[in-house]
Amino acid sequence: MAAITTTPGAHHDDVDPNASFLEKKGLMSWLVTLDHKRIGIMYLISVAIAFLLGGIFALLVRAELFTQGKTLMDADTYNKMFSLHGVVMVFLFIIPSIPAAMGNIILPIQLGTKDVAFPRLNLLSLYVYWFGAIFGLYSMINGGVDTGWTFYTPYSSSDPAHGGVGTATSVIPMTLAAFIMGFSSILTGVNFIATVHKMRAPGLTWRRLTLFTWALYATSIIQVLATPVLAITLLLLTMERFLGLGIFDPRLGGDPVLYQHFFWFYSHPAVYIMIVPGMGVVSDILATFSRREPVGYMAIAASSLGLALLGFLVWGHHLFVAGMSEYATMVFSALTFLVAIPSGVKVFNWVATLYKGSISLQSPMLWALSFIFLFTIGGLTGLFLGMLAVDVHLHDTYFVVAHFHYVMVGGTVMGFVGGLHYWWPKFTGKMYEEGWARVGWFFVFIGFNVTFIAQFIMGSRGMPRRYYDYLPQYEIFHQVSTIGSWILGFGFLVIGVMFIRSLMNGKPASRNPWGSAALEWQTPTPPPTFNFVKDPVLTRGQYDYQLATDDELYEGFDDPLFPGLRGGKAPAKKAAAEGDHG
Amino acid sequence: MATQTPAHPHKDDGAVHAHISSTPFYVAIFLALIALTVLTVGQSYVDLGRMNLIVVILIATTKASLVVSFFMHLRYDNKFNALIFISCIFFIGVFFAYTLNDTERRGELDGDQNVKILPKTGEDAPGGFVPPAAASGGEHGAAPAGSAAPAHH
Amino acid sequence: MSSEATATAGEHAHGDEHGHHGPKWLAHHFDTPAQQFDAAKLGMWVFLAQELLFFSGLFVAYGVYRSWYPEMFVAASHQLDKIMGGTNTIVLLFSSFTAAMAVRSSQLGNRKATGNYILITIVCACLFLVIKYFEYSHKFHAGLLPGRFFHPHPEHLVAGAPPLPANTGSFFSIYFMMTGVHGVHVIIGIGVLIWIWIRNNRGEFSKEFFTPVDIVALYWHLVDLVWIYLFPLLYLV
Repeated sequence: MAAITTTPGAHHDDVDPNASFLEKKGLMSWLVTLDHKRIGIMYLISVAIAFLLGGIFALLVRAELFTQGKTLMDADTYNKMFSLHGVVMVFLFIIPSIPAAMGNIILPIQLGTKDVAFPRLNLLSLYVYWFGAIFGLYSMINGGVDTGWTFYTPYSSSDPAHGGVGTATSVIPMTLAAFIMGFSSILTGVNFIATVHKMRAPGLTWRRLTLFTWALYATSIIQVLATPVLAITLLLLTMERFLGLGIFDPRLGGDPVLYQHFFWFYSHPAVYIMIVPGMGVVSDILATFSRREPVGYMAIAASSLGLALLGFLVWGHHLFVAGMSEYATMVFSALTFLVAIPSGVKVFNWVATLYKGSISLQSPMLWALSFIFLFTIGGLTGLFLGMLAVDVHLHDTYFVVAHFHYVMVGGTVMGFVGGLHYWWPKFTGKMYEEGWARVGWFFVFIGFNVTFIAQFIMGSRGMPRRYYDYLPQYEIFHQVSTIGSWILGFGFLVIGVMFIRSLMNGKPASRNPWGSAALEWQTPTPPPTFNFVKDPVLTRGQYDYQLATDDELYEGFDDPLFPGLRGGKAPAKKAAAEGDHG
Repeated sequence: MATQTPAHPHKDDGAVHAHISSTPFYVAIFLALIALTVLTVGQSYVDLGRMNLIVVILIATTKASLVVSFFMHLRYDNKFNALIFISCIFFIGVFFAYTLNDTERRGELDGDQNVKILPKTGEDAPGGFVPPAAASGGEHGAAPAGSAAPAHH
Repeated sequence: MSSEATATAGEHAHGDEHGHHGPKWLAHHFDTPAQQFDAAKLGMWVFLAQELLFFSGLFVAYGVYRSWYPEMFVAASHQLDKIMGGTNTIVLLFSSFTAAMAVRSSQLGNRKATGNYILITIVCACLFLVIKYFEYSHKFHAGLLPGRFFHPHPEHLVAGAPPLPANTGSFFSIYFMMTGVHGVHVIIGIGVLIWIWIRNNRGEFSKEFFTPVDIVALYWHLVDLVWIYLFPLLYLV
């Protein structure tokens, strides 16, 4: 029988093979660890806190908009709330969420290696992230920012303290926070690229990588190539505010549109830093819960790289009404449509993977399916916005807000939470209560759609984004949207409580609770410090269900909702064997 | 430029195989770099008009490729490292070309797109360049002496 | 997992020198010195790509403003000292040469020569900063400062140079940002060069393990590379 580790590699003599990486206790054992899994878990806790914080800001913004005029807070506070929501969610949560937190834990295991290529750099990136977060918190304590997460000049750069006309809020600490956290992202990217290239287990060829690995690889390329431009942009912005450079401020002879070019040269690719890892998670979940190799494996992998490349060519679509050259707008609009191709390739292949798959609708799969559904809406509405003429109408309306929330929340967050459900048993060693997971998913899915479908409608009717007040005809949409946000928040609350309960008294997870053929499920749960008891040698692909042994697939496998339904061992893997190789 | 690999004929032994260039070779590269530096400084005393920039960049690029290929060993290094370097240059090129595609051609179809306005007074801001459509009537007095260079294309 | 079942069977096939069995400098998670070396080099090149993109923002800003205000750039660059800039270029090129020689010595296992070459590189880097300091202080005296602080004192300007337009502050903003960010890289470079100099003195490097020297030299060449462009773009055109 072909198995993943038929050829024995080296033993790790100095490590107790049965000791999980969680065994060592004490704060210091975490703070100075070089173990990618522990670093990943610290990242995970950090981004979870950031998500909570950003979520609270979001709920406050929605609550304020429940009625016309003042509901909870004055206009200045409202401006700060939506800015902080954006800054926290983008820089503190979404960007590190899947790559740095989940990728750190899972990527080296999926590669069959003991650690990432540069473990110290990995720990450094976490500290850099925390260091940046301190600047962000400092700014928040000092009153936060009211520039929006984009820090557009000249409002952000023209300091009233030096006779400027811009904002007086705490911009410099916040831009420095984003600047510093950018380096954390770069270091993670450097590390992952080297890891994927040089650390793969014997037999793990490029065509045998998981699609999650491919996605993280593509993401890392963007992180490395785009983030430094954000760094220099924010440095210039800080200096502009501090010294009055005159590069971005028109009063000093600068050009604010140039800032937008600089900013979006990073921030558009950053959108793919956010979404591509989510796509990777979904690809893996779909394969596991359809019990088959993903259809069009190479097409999905290549489309991740395609998105990484195209992401760099389309940033100008954020500037259509900013006063950019008309020639540039035409080029950017045309290129923007190209993004639909790799996105479409992915969606079609995912759907084809489901077709004739042996689908089991457990909680990770529910998140993956909602990803496909919501991302498709988010992606298609993106095409509206990429169209020059339509964008003039829709620019800076709630339509845009709804569009990118469908991609970022409907996409990335669904992928992130789905991945959390999927890999939770592996890295905590505990199961969660499937019933509550489904309840949480239900509320999130419903709440999310209620929140943002209302925003699509009012946006297309002309409600501008970021406004504190609105005309009476928009009130009903705002109220529906706010109620949706409460349902959404409740859903996340359920999930949070469910995970905490699982940590406290969850049932021990088996090695492979989902019956997956991928490598990370072939090591003990939770994995030992060096990930595997012996260095794995791969003799089959990670999705080759037809080649996997019963032992590899069905050890301890059971349906969490209906115990005993599948018994300990499922009869065979007929459905998987039937899967063609698309 | 002798390579030091006789003891390890094949690559599978897990030992590091790096190219080692000879000292005279490094000296030669260094002298070439100095010569190019002298050349570029000397050229700056001769006005070639718009060619100045092109010549200067060509010389700099020659110097840079010497440094990258030989001092940084990219010539003998893993091909993938060279690919990283080249694709990085490509992305810088994209950044450059697309941004200049905007800044160089702004306001060509719609002059009003091009005027920089002071947020407080609504007047034209200093440093703005004269939009082609409104070149005659533009009021750019706020920035004296030649700051209002006409847009050229 | 089937392999667990067979774990007691005949392994120890060919991988026993892995990790802790290898030399001290071989990190536990690498199988062979070549893997460690290649990973480090790849990681460094990716990092250098990042560095280049970081500088690219400044170069794009330079390109945009230069093409908007060519006369202003020409006038302003006359205020920069070609001789000092040229000297600095040669200093930096020489340090790059010695850095390359340091790697060569290290590859040949010549610890003493490696140390000396690194030391020369550090001295050149400091010399570069000293010259830069004199250039900067002249600019400060002449009021040739970035943006808002640009107030030229005619008595300190270069005689016979074209008059400076009002928005020349933008040029000096770009000048100070470019050379400043580059200068920060020089300072970081001095730091890492001292670090590997100390490690070299401790005898940590050998013919088999010279990766840190190689990596730091790559970084140093990048600093040189950026200056190769900065010098002509700012001083000569």
